[in-house]
Amino acid sequence: MDSEIYLDRDTFFHRLDPRTKIIILLVTFVIVLYYQNPLWVLPISALVVLQGILADSLINLRRIRYIMLVLAVSGLILWNLFASGETKLFWIFTVESLAYSLGRVLIMLTLITAGMIFMSTTRNEEFVIGMIRLGLPYRVGFAISTALRLVPTIVSSVFIIAQAQRSRGLDLDSGNILERIKKYLPLLVPVFVSTIRNTNIFGMALEAKGFGAREQRTFYLDIKMQRADYWMLGLMLVMFIITTYLKIRGFGDIPGLIRF
Amino acid sequence: MEQPIISIKDLTYRYRGQKRNAIEHISLDVMPSEFIAIMGASEAGKSTLAASINGLVPHFFRGKFSGEVQVCGKSTHASRVAEMAEVTGMVFQDFEAQLFSTNVELEVAFGLENFNVPREEITRRVDEALRFVGLENLKRRSPATLSGGQKQKLAIASVLAMYPKVLVMDEPTTDLDPISKAGVFEIANHLRQRDDLTLLVVEHETEEVLEAQKILLLDEGKLICYAPAHEVLRNVELLEQHGVMPLGVTKYFHQMGVDSDIPLTVNDGIRCFKEKQWRFSDSTYLSLQQQDRAREQHYGAPLIRCENLQFAYPNGTRALKGIDLEIRRGEIVAIVGQNGSGKTTLVKHFNGLLMPTDGQIWVDGRTTREQGVFELGHKVGYVFQNPDHQIFSNTVYDEVAFTLRLRKVDEKTIRQAVTEALDAVGLAGYENADPFSLTKSGRQRVAVASVLAAKPEILILDEPTTGLDYNEQRSMMNLVRRLNENGSTIIFVTHHMWVVAEYAHRVYVMKDGQIYLQGTTREVFSHDQELVDAYLRPPMHVTFANRLGKTLLTVDELVACTETNSQE
Repeated sequence: MDSEIYLDRDTFFHRLDPRTKIIILLVTFVIVLYYQNPLWVLPISALVVLQGILADSLINLRRIRYIMLVLAVSGLILWNLFASGETKLFWIFTVESLAYSLGRVLIMLTLITAGMIFMSTTRNEEFVIGMIRLGLPYRVGFAISTALRLVPTIVSSVFIIAQAQRSRGLDLDSGNILERIKKYLPLLVPVFVSTIRNTNIFGMALEAKGFGAREQRTFYLDIKMQRADYWMLGLMLVMFIITTYLKIRGFGDIPGLIRF
Repeated sequence: MEQPIISIKDLTYRYRGQKRNAIEHISLDVMPSEFIAIMGASEAGKSTLAASINGLVPHFFRGKFSGEVQVCGKSTHASRVAEMAEVTGMVFQDFEAQLFSTNVELEVAFGLENFNVPREEITRRVDEALRFVGLENLKRRSPATLSGGQKQKLAIASVLAMYPKVLVMDEPTTDLDPISKAGVFEIANHLRQRDDLTLLVVEHETEEVLEAQKILLLDEGKLICYAPAHEVLRNVELLEQHGVMPLGVTKYFHQMGVDSDIPLTVNDGIRCFKEKQWRFSDSTYLSLQQQDRAREQHYGAPLIRCENLQFAYPNGTRALKGIDLEIRRGEIVAIVGQNGSGKTTLVKHFNGLLMPTDGQIWVDGRTTREQGVFELGHKVGYVFQNPDHQIFSNTVYDEVAFTLRLRKVDEKTIRQAVTEALDAVGLAGYENADPFSLTKSGRQRVAVASVLAAKPEILILDEPTTGLDYNEQRSMMNLVRRLNENGSTIIFVTHHMWVVAEYAHRVYVMKDGQIYLQGTTREVFSHDQELVDAYLRPPMHVTFANRLGKTLLTVDELVACTETNSQE
């Protein structure tokens, strides 16, 4: 099973400097959280989707479509518990709280999509060197990238282990919640054991390749800001200023919403 | 006089929490550009010794270290592992876990980056190392998309680029098909001749170490012998005594009573055979073929049948491209082929873990789609390659009882089934043991028992002998044979050709998602050249017999068929 997220394509977004991509991601994360009103969130979401199309990366969303669906449906219901308004509908639902949930779900999906696009267009190593050039110590950057690297490994071992236990008769899809949690034990123990084992070999291989041998270290991957990067950063700055200005002026809220 | 490059003096090491020393009082010298094979049974201390050469022992593991290891005059105890990395390169068995970059080029550059090598020099060395292992056209590929053999070559290239003086490889080819294995060793040997590189390889398979100059044989942490390879390989009894498989050709001549200059290779064997004017008996060979046929008459009704079976993974990779096969009750069928040829994908269809994207598969008369994985589970047991992917219980008993408990069988029946299953795998009396405290071979047995307890008619084993030593492999396969004699139909996937030769009744050879060759084991192994095309290679004694005109599968068959002059 292919568990890597990065897509080796040659698009405008793939070619950008990792620093630019990190800043795009950060700005997206900040400005999408400005507004409560889904109508105000929507344009930002649309821009993120546009970015995804241009970067030819939306295909990766298919891998997590069920998770996104579950999050969307449960979010649409659960966020109503945290807000209410004047226009009552039924039970916990009001028009205002529903709009609020819709906005929250949209924000959540936009965040996931933006993160996915970032990971689909940025190699692990580019991410690390980008962060280092932005001032992070190498070891911290490496630790973050290793953690990211571990995710696909764990996913693929979960996959194999689930198959092994299914062929022994373990049916994860039946029973009530408590029974199901108990059923995950045969998955969790082997996943932990194999992850620990893998990390151990990983650590050995790392040391055997001289990790941390010298104070100074070469960075083979060379990154350079190009003209496109400056244009992109300029664009992000403009968007940041406009959205911040609108936020300060008080736009994008849901009138009559009461949050708990 | 030349100085040794590695010098080990009275090395003893014990892992924390272990009762006995992993290695004990080892003293030896290795000269520059020697090729040493480290051999021995499981738990003999091979990996510990290998890890002590680049300082992982004692720095990475916790335990008690005494003695002294020097590489190029540097004491491993006094240097950090990262510092030792400059002189000692290390390649591990698990090729997945030792690669951590997202493309081939960066993987090779990683070690050089750590040593602050200038960028231009890194570029040069990356190209050089990749060219050397034959991966120069895959620079931009992600390591995850490479085949097993390519991954291991990449691991070697990434170490080579650092220009080590010593290269240590810990079972580098265990998970590889025979031709990829040979490829890795070819590179290693070529390297030694070119760069005066000193090579230490931990290896289970004797055929792979023919090129080695010296063999270092360990048993339970003690140094049994450290002598020229040709001497050790001729000492069939010594090898068998310490759990190492002797060479087939050598064992044959040894059993035939040749005691001086026993041939090691196929060519030497043929020369010796002809010099002695031995012959293979036609009548004995005929009766062997008749036995094969008689066995075939004996099989029951077809249990598994595939018609134009096709499978594509969600990402579009076509793993199976039209498989037709039929497996009958009572057979032992081996499925072999190169890494990535589709073996495991195929057998996962037999118990419904995967469903065909096109074509049909019937198990016991009904399609797998009708039955589903849980119903099929009653008929088909599947033992996964790595026992650690399924073991989770605190006791062996609970682990083996798992499937039956899920099926809500009463505890009395379970107790009886578990006892029988543990008896069958030779683990009677271990009911209360913690499965994680057992050896790899012990855990493998627990995994087999946990599948056996459910009494499946068909048993699928994915690489049942990988990671086991010779004696463990034999006892695992003898167990499989016993199960077959008691009525189970067996299907196994393997890279170990001698296991196929000795234990399989019939063989399917896979290549690129198709069946390339099929027939009785004897028929399949008579096609030496086609097997090589499928990245496989018969064991040496089979090639030897083939070249002399008869396909004989085991050393015993060879001996039985041989007519010496005195017999005439």
